[in-house]
Amino acid sequence: MSASTDNLGKALVSDLLKQSEHDAAVTPMDAVLDAARGGTFTDDHCFRLLARLWTLKRMMYYVYGGWAQGINLNDYPPAVAYLFGKQTYDESTHEMQFCDEMLRRRWVRTQKRLFEHPYAEFGTATRTGAYIFCLRALANYPQNIRIAALNLGPKVIELAWTEKFAKSFPDESMHALFQSQLAETRSHVLMGRFQAERFIQKEIDVELAKRLCAETRRDYLFFLEEAARFTLGMEGEKAGEVTVSGDID
Amino acid sequence: MPGLKIAHDKCTECRMCYVACREININAVVVSPTSQHLLEIDERCTYPKCTVCLMYCPAEGSIVEADTGRSLVPPPPEVWAENRRWPRSP
Repeated sequence: MSASTDNLGKALVSDLLKQSEHDAAVTPMDAVLDAARGGTFTDDHCFRLLARLWTLKRMMYYVYGGWAQGINLNDYPPAVAYLFGKQTYDESTHEMQFCDEMLRRRWVRTQKRLFEHPYAEFGTATRTGAYIFCLRALANYPQNIRIAALNLGPKVIELAWTEKFAKSFPDESMHALFQSQLAETRSHVLMGRFQAERFIQKEIDVELAKRLCAETRRDYLFFLEEAARFTLGMEGEKAGEVTVSGDID
Repeated sequence: MPGLKIAHDKCTECRMCYVACREININAVVVSPTSQHLLEIDERCTYPKCTVCLMYCPAEGSIVEADTGRSLVPPPPEVWAENRRWPRSP
């Protein structure tokens, strides 16, 4: 790899991280944390929060299933396939943890009931659905570009709010849950960095990665908005009422 | 104390026990909220009434009796009773 293509990848990573960290500074999840710290966070709020997070995580099986079909053997060194495999496994771990916590608290007795519960159902015409289908559509792009779009975008934001929850969520078991997920989410950002720096080597790919990262970041913020509103029992958003910016240009 | 526990020096973290336990709605196998995310078996385990996880575990010696430490993988003959393999009403 020449020095110029190497710099292209590094400059892209630096750009994407800067934009994502900017978006991560304040997210709708801050309102959830404020409620928890303020003592107005009930068991029902907690159930709603875990159910929405579980719904998103379990849908990642569907996303990564599509992505895995698009990894062509020998296009990338084995390390890339390994890192992707690890990321798939980590998301599965997080999904299991959210489910475990809801079952442990006996809010529902079985996983089957949880799938049927209105708090945890997956709706297609929702922000969660829009984000998931946006990610699934990335199956059409090469692994280096889609991993940059996810791991240097939404993952940076997820890491930021998870860090805040891990630092000061008052409920002990919730605190432990978020704390335990930090290492993996952080490693996903680093994996994104590794792959984008080394394997994005063309100008056109840089532009594509920037565009896709902005889209996934925006859709993830919309998901957080929807999840936070639902958790706190607020009404669903109305046109023009969302607090996150939909403008990516 | 009745029940099972996981021997982490043998366990491969393949998660078959988790899947089997969740499938029959006992939910005793959980992911621990620590940085390593090891699987653990909690007090909801109904062993010796249920032995489903033992039938699926591929790693010899990785699930043991909590009170005696006796290895149950591969399952000894006495835990292979038909009514313990797939107890639909625990």
